[in-house]
Amino acid sequence: MSLLASARYHLNVDLIGNGFLRYERRKLERKLANPRPHPHLGPPLVTAAELKELISRHYLKGRYASGHKPVAWVTSGAPVEFLQALGFFLLYPENHGAVCGIRRKAEEYCSAAEDLGYSRDICSYARTDIGSVMTGKTPVGTLPRPDLLVCCTNICQTVLYWYRVLAEHFGCPLVIIDTPFVYDSASDHSVAYVLRQIEQAVEVAERVAGRSLEPDKLRQVTQLSRDAVDLWMQVLERCRHRPAPMTAFDAFIQLAPIVEMRGEDFAVGYYQRLLAALDQRIADGVWALKDERLRLVWDNLPIWHRMRWLGERFAERGVALVASTYTNAWGELAPLIDPAHPLESGARTYLHAILNRSTGHKLNVIKGLVSDYQADGVVLHSDRSCKPYSVGQIDQRGRLVGAEGVPALLLEADHNDPRSFSEEQVAARLDAFLEILES
Amino acid sequence: MVEVPSRGATIAAWREQGGGIAAVFPIHHPRALWRAYGLLPVEVWGPPVTDTSRGDARLQAYTCSVVRCGLAFLESGGLEDVDLVVVPHACDSLQGLGSLLLDFAPPRQPVITPYIPRTRDAAAAEFLAHELRSVGLRLAEITGHQPDAAAVMACNQAEAQADRQRLALFEARRHLPLTNLEFYRLVRAREYLPAQDFAALAQAALAERIDEALPGPGVMLSGLLPEPMALLGVLDRAGAVVVADDYACSGRRHYRAGSSDEPWLNMAQSLLAGPPDPTLGHPIAQRVDHLVQACQSAGVDAVIFHGVKFCEPERFDLPMVQAGLQARLGLPCVDLEVDLASPLGHQAVTRIEALVEGLS
Repeated sequence: MSLLASARYHLNVDLIGNGFLRYERRKLERKLANPRPHPHLGPPLVTAAELKELISRHYLKGRYASGHKPVAWVTSGAPVEFLQALGFFLLYPENHGAVCGIRRKAEEYCSAAEDLGYSRDICSYARTDIGSVMTGKTPVGTLPRPDLLVCCTNICQTVLYWYRVLAEHFGCPLVIIDTPFVYDSASDHSVAYVLRQIEQAVEVAERVAGRSLEPDKLRQVTQLSRDAVDLWMQVLERCRHRPAPMTAFDAFIQLAPIVEMRGEDFAVGYYQRLLAALDQRIADGVWALKDERLRLVWDNLPIWHRMRWLGERFAERGVALVASTYTNAWGELAPLIDPAHPLESGARTYLHAILNRSTGHKLNVIKGLVSDYQADGVVLHSDRSCKPYSVGQIDQRGRLVGAEGVPALLLEADHNDPRSFSEEQVAARLDAFLEILES
Repeated sequence: MVEVPSRGATIAAWREQGGGIAAVFPIHHPRALWRAYGLLPVEVWGPPVTDTSRGDARLQAYTCSVVRCGLAFLESGGLEDVDLVVVPHACDSLQGLGSLLLDFAPPRQPVITPYIPRTRDAAAAEFLAHELRSVGLRLAEITGHQPDAAAVMACNQAEAQADRQRLALFEARRHLPLTNLEFYRLVRAREYLPAQDFAALAQAALAERIDEALPGPGVMLSGLLPEPMALLGVLDRAGAVVVADDYACSGRRHYRAGSSDEPWLNMAQSLLAGPPDPTLGHPIAQRVDHLVQACQSAGVDAVIFHGVKFCEPERFDLPMVQAGLQARLGLPCVDLEVDLASPLGHQAVTRIEALVEGLS
């Protein structure tokens, strides 16, 4: 690591950047204190300004990280605690992809990747990332070049193909943490295999970072990870309240720290304040929707490029999305995380991510959410870009509607590529579904 | 010319001997394992040009046609006579298929879903050996067979011999008096023939080797499988010879024999010792090196990337592999994308003809 890079980091992040972000946060807080009334939506969460500051600071740190800290690009479901403990700056290309989607930049980057020969049939997160990497464009300033790539296959096999492309492009080491798919229950040899790979990943990361992993530091980071995940689950569970103090659309945005800052103390602090804010809303009778009439569960990734449109469309019909399998996935594994045995429990935890489990398990999760959150129906986003999440949804919907008597809608879209989204078609299908629910 | 036994005749003959049949979906799987338990593995790659409506009822249109055709075939009774269905974990779509069959659409037969690791070190071999052993326990329950270590090792050796023979066929391709279509009917018999029968068949074909090399430009095919096989007929008519192969169903399954004396570890080592394959996580550079070497040693004049629509592992690698081959060998490349449920389109035919004409 270089002294010059460290000086540049401290100047731009700690001195100038932090001051600017605090100023921006205060400005937004003042604006949020007197929000413009929305005909259907309740006031925004008071923590919105802090969240924006956290995310902006994360990318600001990334912008100046090269040379100051080792940088790892990691998949969203990867075990990151050992990397945090070794002082890596972590960048999550999927999260960056979501930011590009929200800011309506994904189409441009996807097209750039397609111009380079990447098929439109591959995942739009991957195309967004590859397009961004190859053109150097990003809405967050600059992405730091990775010193290490960590790819864990517990979310899909797509990341394996995608990170191989990144490894080729950047010429840096790629660590694959291969998590055998759990069709039923995880075998002992699967857990042992994942543990061995995490141990090997630690060795590679130590070499890249130029330092050894301190067991105490790892336990401390794992504890913070566990605390954040616990708090995240409590945040989500506040939506069991009827009416709900926030919706899944809020949760999709609030997800950023649990994905990007897992293992950091400020993520724990943020979720403590978010939880308190939700409790305050419940105490004050402030709800996500002014008139909540129906409650739905969302399955699969959000449609990042149409969040606002969908949110308002649901709100005007008095429909609150009170839970989603996607946001729930980041909290449901909390009991498996054991800070006293960080690597061992990590192997078991990361093996049990929802996308590494069977179609039947996912149906059970949906049924559980419908019951726990008193939902009236389910919207299953059939996501062209996410096969592991989407394959099985036709049967899941069939079981929900048939055996469970839960109304369910399959909605075709793509989480990041707006070209695979028909507003008219989605609106017509949603309207028809909601009419059935309302009748 | 050697006569290749049909799939139906092979299954009937195996049944007559009292053996069972395992229908095995793509890609990598331990043939020796099924054989050790008295089962003949018969692979299900599609099959092509199937009415996919039964598969479409459970799978979205953006699922690849290998999986949609396979499920449609199963749901329409095409696998009614088999004793076991095996869906090895190969990609997200096949993972989904395996899960669907276990959770929502169970066939009458047991379904087994072995996991093939994406890394290739000692930990992966150890995991795979455990995985194969545990599948073996399940097979013992299903079939009643209890093979001892020597029997398992004998199966490993028989499969290794058949793999060597298939590789020998590819190495001798320019000197085998067979059309492309005949050649692929021969090598693809490995998908259903017992190892010993395939080795004998390959030996017979190799015995017909001629001294002079077959004329015509040499082509490498890369993709999942040579379907629709009309593609091979087009190459035959155009006068090209397929001299190198990077298909998942053939060229990426030239496994080297395992080295361990312990039969399960030996089986695992062999399965992990195939040529580079995107589904197994080999680095792209390693794939490019392998393909460059294959093209050079076989005298390839052009490469046809023959992918199946919606197949992510193939599509992700394509730009860098294509660029690598062009940069290092200057080879012309054509990228064709097919849907197994449809016949080969006129556009594809025209592009192949134009490519070969340009080489002549």
